[in-house]
Amino acid sequence: MAPLTCTKLSVITITGIVTQIIGLSVFVFGFFPVKPALPGTSGSESFFAPACDFVGNLSDTTLPSDQLQSLYQELSGIPPSFDRLILMVIDGLPAEFVLGKNEKPPKKQFKEAMPYTQSLLVSGSAIGYHAKAAPPTVTMPRLKAMVSGAIGGFLDVAFNFNTQAMMDDNLLGQFFRIGWKMVMLGDETWIKLFPRLFKRHDGVSSFYVKDTVQVDQNVSRHLRDELSKDDWNLLILHYLGLDHVGHIDGRSSVLMAPKLKEMDEVVKLIHSSIIQSQINRPGRPLLMIVSDHGMTENGNHGGSTYEETDSLVLFIGLRNHIFEYASVINQIDIAPTLALLFGVPIPKNNVGVLIREAFDSLKEDQHLRALELNAWQLLRLLHAQLSGLPCRNLPCDAFYDHQSSSSSECNHTTENMLCCLYMEAAALYTSWKSKRGFESASNKDYSRTTSAYYKFLKSASEWLSRRTTDKPVKLLALGLATLFISSVILSSLMFCWLREIYHGGKQQTSNLNDRMNGWSFDETFIVSAVLILVTCMTSSSMVEEEHYTWYFLISTFYLLLLRKTAQSLSAVGLQSSFLMQKGQSGEGFFRICCIFLLLISGRILRGWHQGGVNWTSLPDISKWLEQAGSQYVKPLQLISAVLVISIGLFALFSIETKGKYFQMVRLSFLISGLLVLLHITRYQDYAFSSTNYGATFLVQIIYAILGAVTIGTVVALPWLIPLSTSKIFPADNTIASPIFPSIQEKFPLVELRDSLYVVGWAYILCWCLLQLLLQQPINTTPVLLLLLQIVAGVHYFVRSGTHHKEWVEIAGFYYLGMAGHFSLGNSNTLATIDVAGAFIGISNHSTFLSGILMFIITYASPMFILLSLVMYISTKSMAHLVIPEKANAGDLLMMLLGFPCLVPLVLNSILLTAYTVVLLLMQNHLFVWSVFSPKYLYVCATTVCTLIGVFIVAATGFYTYFVLAMRKEKACSS
Amino acid sequence: MKEELEKSSQSTTSSFQVFFIHVCCGVALAVGFWVARNVYSINLISDPTTTLRLIWAFEFPVVILLFSCCRQKPEKCSYLKTIARGLLGLPIGALLNALGAFALGAPVGLQYLEKTVSWSLLMSSFTFVPTACVYGSCWTDWHRIFACTKPKGPLDFMLCLPAHGAVIGAWFGAWPMPLDWERPWQDWPICVSYGAMAGYVVGMVGSIGLALTHTGGKQLKAE
Repeated sequence: MAPLTCTKLSVITITGIVTQIIGLSVFVFGFFPVKPALPGTSGSESFFAPACDFVGNLSDTTLPSDQLQSLYQELSGIPPSFDRLILMVIDGLPAEFVLGKNEKPPKKQFKEAMPYTQSLLVSGSAIGYHAKAAPPTVTMPRLKAMVSGAIGGFLDVAFNFNTQAMMDDNLLGQFFRIGWKMVMLGDETWIKLFPRLFKRHDGVSSFYVKDTVQVDQNVSRHLRDELSKDDWNLLILHYLGLDHVGHIDGRSSVLMAPKLKEMDEVVKLIHSSIIQSQINRPGRPLLMIVSDHGMTENGNHGGSTYEETDSLVLFIGLRNHIFEYASVINQIDIAPTLALLFGVPIPKNNVGVLIREAFDSLKEDQHLRALELNAWQLLRLLHAQLSGLPCRNLPCDAFYDHQSSSSSECNHTTENMLCCLYMEAAALYTSWKSKRGFESASNKDYSRTTSAYYKFLKSASEWLSRRTTDKPVKLLALGLATLFISSVILSSLMFCWLREIYHGGKQQTSNLNDRMNGWSFDETFIVSAVLILVTCMTSSSMVEEEHYTWYFLISTFYLLLLRKTAQSLSAVGLQSSFLMQKGQSGEGFFRICCIFLLLISGRILRGWHQGGVNWTSLPDISKWLEQAGSQYVKPLQLISAVLVISIGLFALFSIETKGKYFQMVRLSFLISGLLVLLHITRYQDYAFSSTNYGATFLVQIIYAILGAVTIGTVVALPWLIPLSTSKIFPADNTIASPIFPSIQEKFPLVELRDSLYVVGWAYILCWCLLQLLLQQPINTTPVLLLLLQIVAGVHYFVRSGTHHKEWVEIAGFYYLGMAGHFSLGNSNTLATIDVAGAFIGISNHSTFLSGILMFIITYASPMFILLSLVMYISTKSMAHLVIPEKANAGDLLMMLLGFPCLVPLVLNSILLTAYTVVLLLMQNHLFVWSVFSPKYLYVCATTVCTLIGVFIVAATGFYTYFVLAMRKEKACSS
Repeated sequence: MKEELEKSSQSTTSSFQVFFIHVCCGVALAVGFWVARNVYSINLISDPTTTLRLIWAFEFPVVILLFSCCRQKPEKCSYLKTIARGLLGLPIGALLNALGAFALGAPVGLQYLEKTVSWSLLMSSFTFVPTACVYGSCWTDWHRIFACTKPKGPLDFMLCLPAHGAVIGAWFGAWPMPLDWERPWQDWPICVSYGAMAGYVVGMVGSIGLALTHTGGKQLKAE
């Protein structure tokens, strides 16, 4: 096999990366399809039985709206119970706050905060439900689900920020078609979803997450005005404040009770105006209070825990009922219920079932008719999804002999079961209709028929909502195969290269250190760690608790390093060596200190956030600090920030180069550090203050300085660094290779090392300052600990020289990065993404910018590690680089950048491929949407992070080297 | 019996001795379990602290008495002195084991303190005490056995294999802890103790096997 050259290596690596990207995108688009929906909208055909070859009245669309409305009424046979709807959406309100949990009343403080609503519930004029929202519990998909009754595709989360107009059949479109006038006040998501549908609207942005007051005032300010008008049929109010309170402080925030009180006032205002208006004008308005999702104890949402999916539905204005306890429905049930209550066709892709109590006021035949319409609509959807539905034509066969449908038929296949349930209900309905004239037994028949219908509806709805949409198998297989190929390319490349370097390649130097050749225990551990991780991914609880795996692996790795250090300590005996070979023993002692630093900071990091799903309630350091109050958090944050900045500046100052340029770099980092401190002390104080112009401006200045300095350093440093005649080393690096001078003549090694060192620290400092700015105050200390770990790790590896192979060290760093990812409070559920931080320093709404900020916050730790690899390269590799006489620039670059780029790529690629296989295997698992899919999104984002990081490392290395080489050549020739 | 052992334990150890010591340790472990179960009617799950202490109370004397018989250089170091250094080694080993467990993520907190102490005392008797009895504070031997894992002869294997077995067993025993099976044995330090004891037993069996097959003290490379 021909030896690897730099060009070859980079070409193969790039091929691998490109294959990986292609494979990943193919797989993602195959696995998370944009939800296939029945096209078009329901019209008058929905009032006829589905399979009777009835050609729908095509003139539907051309009918004027008032005629359409009367046509619908005539066909449906159900007079609309209400003529106006007030839909009040309270973002993020858990039903538990209003209705209590587990048949217990809500907490006293919440109950007292909403006296009016509670009195309505007690008197029976309001009916409340726990509406189970489907994950992802994020606003836009939930709104879509409420108005269309369909369960959205998973990728809707990704589009949550980038709201698009809703094209599917939905309630608002149906209302618009029958000529309703609609008014919308509140979250502008509605306007984006339904542009041009509203007669009047006043959108507020969900953008200023820290604002809890103004958002709701902006909704309520028009309320009295609108309530006095009667030119609208639908009034939507969407209050965001409660969600913002949650995002800031969690469920138990002190702001929660006043916010609930405010909502209660709004309910009172609306309800009393409804009562007033009923005296003056005919018609009945319905007030509906819903929430789109709940929130976790910390106020986040997105996942599928009970706390997040427990949303509220409250009908005010139905016939009085008094229920002891609120029952549980699905959020999607809202759509068909509202459609039939207001006399429009049920949206085509609805999966929901009529809410029983909402139709109690109807006559028996009307209630059954409503059920029949819902059943027909679901049957249509079933037909579309199950081509082999056996009862396809049966509803048309005029008289189905219901005697023959024995219930034993009802339990073969899903198709048979659903079909049979439907037939049973339809037959009972027919017989009820035929018997209607006679009074006898009609009541019993009626209840039998309704329960038969509900049985069918419930099971059909459950089946439809559970069913993951058909996946294009070929596409998935293609994506997986491509991913597999890329991972094979990358890992075989690395394997070849490893063999070349360590086993008789062109650069073999067996005399240097015999340990280079052995397959030692830490290498075995690194490889088996990958296997362990892959194995752990197959279990849903191990995915939920993935952080434990990382913590355990990384601390085991440190302990193995400790053992290895102990091994290398001279066997002569500690005391004697301390006297005789002070240098060596000092080295050993230093390395042991480094490992202890790693172990201790790793343990603190582990205890900082109790992540995951099952054990989140256990005490951890961050909870403890937050309970202790901000008088402890604040100083800790300041101390950590000062330490981070001073470590970074100290490292920058430790390079003994004079020159205006260096001074400028240092000065600008010092300035931005001070600005960050200023921001922390002045503005990050607490979330009560709404967004502040000064704070935003300051943050923008910091962004600008950091960006300019970092990019400036990277670009200009290789041009400005003085070409060495004298020797300049980073102060902490004392190892000089004997062959160094001869290489130095040929390559600008010292300069390269110095500039990479400065650039690396510039990256690290820039990233740290960004994190200090963006992360929650409680996360400042973990950032410091991470920095300490990196510094300790780099120093340890530098001191241990060739005891460890380079790839082991880099893999160790990669693991460290992943462990750090979890210690910053991240987990594999979408709920832990820090949304509030993503808007710091942005003055107008931009999906792109806040997306980038969110990425920076979430992937702080892995990216940190990758960026610090630049610094690692500068301190490490030149100390033991073995470059033969004939080496060229390519070999040098390959030695420098090869492993730091390849190892993260290979590790990530293996994990990505393995996880893709796991996801495919688990696609019918109960937790596929709640556990495995979010994890896959994280894996994809990690891939992106790795690619970006590796690109930065490689680009910096190449650029710096080529500029320096060019200058050196010029200097030599002149 | 004691004199017999003392005489023959200069540098080589007979396979019978290895067998005898290991069987005694194993029996002590089993007796500890039996007593906990049948006399006090407790087990690791219902009362981990007491059970661990009980097992330790049976295991530790056996370990310290038997391994002290195998001490190196018996002419320089009396039996009592050996026992004393074993006793001294106990808290040091317990501390090291506890620190290792903390580093790997054992819960820190007052409510866990008792459990951790009992567990690390037991671990210390598995790992640290035997070597402390046999080799004292000789850095070379410790380095050979624990840092490099290059034991020479049955005596080294007798110290090395069960100790490593216990540590590795405890490491593997920690894996089920974060799972959401909601079993009582998932708590610290129950499954870790089970793992450690299982690993210890496996290590002893391995040591006996090696001693039986390689009588005469052939040098073996453990790695």
